[in-house]
Amino acid sequence: MKYLNPRHLVLFILLSVFISPLLSQKLEAQDKKKIKLRIKADYTKVIDHSSFIDLSTIAKINKKNAGIANLNLTIISKTDDDEVELGQATTNHDGKVRFLINDLNKLLKDTLGFYNLRVKFMGDDSFKKASKTLSFKDAHIETKSFTKDSVNYVSATLKDVHSDSVLTKTSLKVNVERLFKSLPIGEQFNYTDENGTILVPIERGIPCIDGKLVIEVILNDSDDYGTVKALVNTTFGKSAVIDNSFENRTLWSPRNKTPIFILIFANLLIFTIWGIIIYLITNLFRINKS
Amino acid sequence: MKTHKTILRDLKPKKFGKRDSIWTISLIVIIIIGLIAYIDQLIKGQEVTNMRDYALWGIYISNFVFFVATSFVGTVTVAILRLTKNSWRTPLVRIAEIISVAAIIMAGITIMIDMARPDRLLNLFIHARLQSPITWDVVIIPTYIVISLLLLYFPLIPDFAILKTHFKKKKPKLSKFYGRLALNWTGSKAQKSLQEKSIRIIAIMIIPVGLLLQTIDAWLFSTTYRIGWDSTNFAPYFISGAFVAGVGALVTLIYIIRKAKKLENYITDYHFDKLGKLLALACLIYLYFNINEYVIPLFTAKKGELVHLETLFTGSYSILFWAVTVIGLILPIIVLMFKKGRKPNSMFIIGLIVVIGSWWKRFVIVTPTLLHPFLPIQGVPESWHHYFPSLHEWLITLATLAMAFLIITVCVRYLPVIPIQRTIDEMEASEANNKNTES
Repeated sequence: MKYLNPRHLVLFILLSVFISPLLSQKLEAQDKKKIKLRIKADYTKVIDHSSFIDLSTIAKINKKNAGIANLNLTIISKTDDDEVELGQATTNHDGKVRFLINDLNKLLKDTLGFYNLRVKFMGDDSFKKASKTLSFKDAHIETKSFTKDSVNYVSATLKDVHSDSVLTKTSLKVNVERLFKSLPIGEQFNYTDENGTILVPIERGIPCIDGKLVIEVILNDSDDYGTVKALVNTTFGKSAVIDNSFENRTLWSPRNKTPIFILIFANLLIFTIWGIIIYLITNLFRINKS
Repeated sequence: MKTHKTILRDLKPKKFGKRDSIWTISLIVIIIIGLIAYIDQLIKGQEVTNMRDYALWGIYISNFVFFVATSFVGTVTVAILRLTKNSWRTPLVRIAEIISVAAIIMAGITIMIDMARPDRLLNLFIHARLQSPITWDVVIIPTYIVISLLLLYFPLIPDFAILKTHFKKKKPKLSKFYGRLALNWTGSKAQKSLQEKSIRIIAIMIIPVGLLLQTIDAWLFSTTYRIGWDSTNFAPYFISGAFVAGVGALVTLIYIIRKAKKLENYITDYHFDKLGKLLALACLIYLYFNINEYVIPLFTAKKGELVHLETLFTGSYSILFWAVTVIGLILPIIVLMFKKGRKPNSMFIIGLIVVIGSWWKRFVIVTPTLLHPFLPIQGVPESWHHYFPSLHEWLITLATLAMAFLIITVCVRYLPVIPIQRTIDEMEASEANNKNTES
């Protein structure tokens, strides 16, 4: 007790008071159970446009699945022997992000022609580490539009790029591209024949702007190839009559498009009545003066 | 035969007694409580009301429609009775004009109370769409306020001059006040001609403007495509309803003012009898439009409308609906058919019933419709399926009614409630007539 200086004791107590909350916070953080995260990845290729991976992160919070925002995901291309980091992406407020693949040739490919990607999340204070592996091969859809015997057709041939062979007995979907959601046309299932081709008649009279109809041919969510989409620009549509009645003067138009008869009638009423009111008020002045 | 002095003594504004002061203070207290509730509503927003996504028009709009309807009394009694040369109107017109002014001012204020952001009031003018009935309403209400004020003021000018002279010695300040309002009135030919001409113009003008006001009020509802409001019958239905509310309010207030100011010699049983007949006529016309409004849809209504009608006839609003229809409309017609029913005391009770019925009638028009939208109410809390005003809404609404009463009370205190000059003129004319008959 000889060595225990009272000033040191006070200093020690003060320091303890300030440090203890920090320690307890750290301990609390360590004790806090991290949440398990799931990553979803879908590959899509739009012929002659772009390839991308749609990534989404989901975790169970308060017994409900929710997308997790602001998570940094690392995308790696790998084979058994090698791996290359393609880049990083941060999830948006819905927990989703689209990672663009500008050039497929920059990705590593295995001997069977598969591109193997790994999407990694390194973990943080709230969420555990997570990863997702995605494998796909490159496919190509060659499309053509033509008219035969007054019937409009779209033909599409599906090929495996690595083996340069056509893919038979594979179902392709055919849609008309629309602003919000594509409109399916033709049969529900269009299986490719022995030449890897489908032939779909396009009915007449589908409304579109200036008769220009964009047909989508889609290999949808294939195990080997992901989603592959080809767009065909045709002139098979019927020019839609655009409703521009909102530009006219109607009862439902904005204020600068008020119908003339309302403008005239309402203003006539207002100015007549207020004209008389002003006359009556001047009469009060005249009474006062006379 | 009354002398000028007697008439002036009877009809001049008198100082408030103890009872009047208690009445006025009570009104001020109610207004202050309502004002506090309104400030709270402004701070917290309209969540303090029970109005929600569906019942977005509640007691405030019902109250607004009631005030607009009541203001119609100016058009009916003053203009129509004047143009049809009904001389019995004389002791009643001033009170009708006062009610009209008070009601239309309060209608304007009530609609602002319903606005969640009154600071954006100017936007109603800046961004007005002339196609919208709301814009028409924004235009017509100030117009009607000005016309009602002019209608009250022009006939008052000679009375102000009389009061100026009367109070000159005893109360010089009051005399000065009346003197300013009298606009140097001497009763000269030129002044009389200008005044009479102006009154004639207002009497004619207030009829279309009054009808327009009620019509626009009706169109606010009928142009919104909703069950129960989607009716081409709505404008005449509202006009006839306003006729009832206005005359009902007039009967009630005339009875009270007559008693408070001891005007039994001026407002006689004869006037009540005439008013009773007018009220009976108004109720009959309104009943006819009610039948049109509710019975015909029973034959033609689609399912959604039938649900609405069932709610009114047998459902959750049935007690209120039948109360306002039977007690507030049919019962007065039956009572007013009898001469005894048109006596002052029974007329007062009938008038009161009609006014209360008219107020709740607006509630029945506004609320049930909003709770029956075309698309079913889904995914909202259970309480949003119903509407009953919150404490804030009641306090504010009571304050607006108190404010209307306060305007009337102040007018009754400082204005002659029966036209002095006109009563003197009529008495002189009657004397001259009697002399001519005797000779």
